[in-house]
Amino acid sequence: MAAPAELFCWEGDWGLPSVSTDCLVVLAYAQFAGAPLKLRRTSSPWRSPSGCLPALRTEQRETLSRPADIIIHLRKQKYNADFDLSAKEGADSLAFISLMEEKLVPALIYAFWIEPKNYVDVTRRWYAEHMPFPLNFFMPGRMQRQQLEKLRLLRGDETLEAGDELEKELFRDAAECMNLLSQRLGSHKFFFGDSPSSLDAYVFGHLAPVLKSRLPNSKLQQHLKTLDNLSGFCCNILLLYFPRDGRDASSQKTAPQPDGGADFDHVPHKRRKQFLSALVALGAMLSYALLTGMVSIQHVQQGALEDEPAHLQPLGEHEDEGDG
Amino acid sequence: NGTVIPIGQSLDPLPMHGPELGLQADDIEAPGIEQDPKQEVLENKNVVVQRVHIDGLGRTKEDLLTYEIAEVFRAKNLIDVMRKSHEARQKLLRLGIFRKVEVVIDTSRGEDALPNGLDVTFEVTELRRMTGSYNTMVGNNEGSMVLGLKLPNVLGRAEKMTFQFSYGTKETSYGLSFFKPQPGHFERNITLNVYKVTGQFPWSSLRETDRGISAELSFPVWKTSQTLKWEGVWRELGCLARTASFAVREESGHSLKSSLSHAMVIDTRNSSILPRRGGLLKIHQELAGYTGGDASFLKEDFEIQLNKTLFWDSVLSASLWGGLLLPIGEKPTSIADRFYLGGPTSIRGFSMYSMGPQSEGDYLGGEAYWAGGVHLYTPLPFRPGRGGFGDLFRTHFFLNAGNLCNLNYGEGPQAHLKKLAECLRWSYGLGIVLRLGNIARLELNYCIPMGVQSGDRICDGVQFGAGIRFL
Amino acid sequence: MSLAAEAFVSQMAAAEPWPENATLYQPLKEDQILLSDCASSLAVQAYLRMCGLPVQVVCRANAEYMSPSGKIPFIHVGNQVVSELGPIVQFTRAKGHSLSDGLDDVQRAEMKAYMELVNNMLLTAELYIQWCDDATAAEISRPRYGSPYSWPLGSILAYQKKWEVRRKMNAIGWGGKSLEQVYEDVSQCCQALSQRLGTQPYFFNKQPTELDALVFGHLFTILTTRLTSSELAERIKSFSNLLSFCRRIEQTYFEDRSS
Repeated sequence: MAAPAELFCWEGDWGLPSVSTDCLVVLAYAQFAGAPLKLRRTSSPWRSPSGCLPALRTEQRETLSRPADIIIHLRKQKYNADFDLSAKEGADSLAFISLMEEKLVPALIYAFWIEPKNYVDVTRRWYAEHMPFPLNFFMPGRMQRQQLEKLRLLRGDETLEAGDELEKELFRDAAECMNLLSQRLGSHKFFFGDSPSSLDAYVFGHLAPVLKSRLPNSKLQQHLKTLDNLSGFCCNILLLYFPRDGRDASSQKTAPQPDGGADFDHVPHKRRKQFLSALVALGAMLSYALLTGMVSIQHVQQGALEDEPAHLQPLGEHEDEGDG
Repeated sequence: NGTVIPIGQSLDPLPMHGPELGLQADDIEAPGIEQDPKQEVLENKNVVVQRVHIDGLGRTKEDLLTYEIAEVFRAKNLIDVMRKSHEARQKLLRLGIFRKVEVVIDTSRGEDALPNGLDVTFEVTELRRMTGSYNTMVGNNEGSMVLGLKLPNVLGRAEKMTFQFSYGTKETSYGLSFFKPQPGHFERNITLNVYKVTGQFPWSSLRETDRGISAELSFPVWKTSQTLKWEGVWRELGCLARTASFAVREESGHSLKSSLSHAMVIDTRNSSILPRRGGLLKIHQELAGYTGGDASFLKEDFEIQLNKTLFWDSVLSASLWGGLLLPIGEKPTSIADRFYLGGPTSIRGFSMYSMGPQSEGDYLGGEAYWAGGVHLYTPLPFRPGRGGFGDLFRTHFFLNAGNLCNLNYGEGPQAHLKKLAECLRWSYGLGIVLRLGNIARLELNYCIPMGVQSGDRICDGVQFGAGIRFL
Repeated sequence: MSLAAEAFVSQMAAAEPWPENATLYQPLKEDQILLSDCASSLAVQAYLRMCGLPVQVVCRANAEYMSPSGKIPFIHVGNQVVSELGPIVQFTRAKGHSLSDGLDDVQRAEMKAYMELVNNMLLTAELYIQWCDDATAAEISRPRYGSPYSWPLGSILAYQKKWEVRRKMNAIGWGGKSLEQVYEDVSQCCQALSQRLGTQPYFFNKQPTELDALVFGHLFTILTTRLTSSELAERIKSFSNLLSFCRRIEQTYFEDRSS
């Protein structure tokens, strides 16, 4: 083996090891299987070898991006969390993963990216704060457009927009999916027996962000909290497999209050402020130039548009010419 | 010793305006008086137009203009020269490529100058290579921004290229057209169009998106103007809402229409919006399916209007419209091809296009229709603003009638006529008409609909209408 | 329509019995319909037959555009229009016809999960093979899809559809898959279905459910449709219990009526 496999993931927050569902799935699976991965948490997707997150750079310098591909790769490396599953249980895993992809994923996209208040207050803010300047101005918007496009394709509706009816429909599907998962889980600790499998990783990856994020429109979270066994399941995995992130969250809650923390943050903020003020000044100058330019262009256009009724010049002028 | 006669001054009825007039108002008077005797002499004398100059040409090709000014050479005396020059000037302006045309007539000079020779000089100012426009429009439940781009005289022979792009809150549309007249015969021209138009028709719960190309040839024959056209349209129909009736749902989807059409118009009216005299005959026929496409039908319709001035500036106007749509082959006609009737621009007192065959509240249109109207237009009572603003308004009394239905072709023409004659819808009322330029008009009417059939949607009482074509 | 009005209408619908003139719309059977649409349509027909609800199948060239969701098939019952199996199952349940009432909670959860497995893997694989495999798209899908329209509209619509499906594949991460990987996914899906079915006559013991209708619709269509390569059908043929399952449903619900 050459260099150890490296896993690139989105940074964590809200007491989660990562904010992205796909990253969480991979992280959880790697933990369950005990795969020794060199973890790289980043908030710059272009730093990853594939340009998106999560990404696994294997020992053979290959790059994998789809969670399913990464899990298959880890399985081939003998890090198999599904080793103890019977064939029927394997089939059930596949079925429930499909169920989540069809019913839960659209609602998650909607809740985090499309619902306007959630997007502006939480998602965009988080990505804008964590991405480096100046990309934090463009990337969240780009990611949102990609997610909207994805939701449109999933639903087969080219003109889909955020709205009450869509929200109701998506959340109804998602709530039903959670109910079904809750019924399947019952009072067990994990979906199949006493040790977690890939299905547990998928369920955790999809539900933990719902449970831990603080979205203004939190209908999904409210529903999830009524399902005690499912929310307990997520907390349990966090506690058992990601103990450090869970503690981070509780310490973060108290950390920002003392002034020392603010002092520590002072330097990068200063630079950012400098950048911002320069940008604002530049923007103002540019827009002024553009504005005056526009005005002059409009004048030209208006002049061109006046279809003046042509008329003859008065007599005198021509006579002068004739005489001369 | 040069003589210059200001043609525009004497013949052009347009009031002069602009900065030039203000600055040189004194100059007009003084030399005019001085030259009277000479002018007197020249008027009686035979003259020869020796040269015609056109100054100020940039991209315009000269050969195009020689057709327009050829008549000037035929003038025999000074009055003739003035009249023909004026006509030539009007022709040049009509080409739509000049901003300004001025005519200067001078005695010939040079070696070969005849004693009674004249030189005519047209001083023209070309339009800019490209002009732009910007509008915002607000329609029912929709706002849109319209950007227009016009390239007059693209190739130097009065060809015109226009591009329009409208970006709406719901729909975007665009159109690109190219127009080319035959040099010397401006009425004979070719137009090519490429467009995409989206329309929403709430009375049918229908949304239609058309993408098409068309080629059009126009030419005058005797007193008529004839138009031949081929059009290929890709039409996409869809339901406007989930609640659309099943009949409309069945029409959803894509179709291709390729049609040949012919239109003939005789228009002797003095104005197209509020005419005082003259008549209009318009016949239009369209044959679809023979040049490809999914839709095949024959569509005929006509429009007649007669106007007569009566006592006290009042005008009596009578119009008759009619149309017939015959499907060819097995396929029934499409909802997009059928006729619609009703509303403030046709049979007043009914809601827009809300009469005739319908399904669950969605109007499906008919394959045959007729509509007639009689109007008595009078000036406003007591004639306020006479000679100015008040002339834009008229009061009118109207009587409209018509019918719209589907035909069963097994029954024969007798049955058809009977069907169109029974269940007659009609309405009467009075209102005020406002003329908007020479293209559109607004109406505010009090209507009393009669002969209403079950399923029709009426608009009893006050009804507002705006449009270009009126019954 | 507002949700309140919708709820009211579905209540009204529940009160009305199933009419005799219920109609199912699908694209033209001979010239136009594609594998995935045919499979979805057969699944709904199988479901309605299992419920004992009569429905008349009507082929329309513009069925896709008539459908309120743009998906095939849809049924027109009374003055209601419902498309796709999931909503149709809910609709019939509102009218008092259901196949899955006898299941317990866990079984119902599993049934729903397996239905999504079929949609997520089999249906997506069918779409992939139809539109993303160049040979199939050029020889079968594009000519058939555009067949009801005159030139050049048929080609335009077919290419539009192809791009739409390819964008969808990219969005769900199937864009980078090879045909072999897709066949492998189909095998994996069938393996799961075969495991779940075991030796039972239906997925949940003696009585068919909507899952059985869905699986039958897809597998039977794949087995009986000729494509440029028979690989897809071959993958299914290696699971003998699925084959006999298809035969059983065909004999029980489709043959005795036609004879």
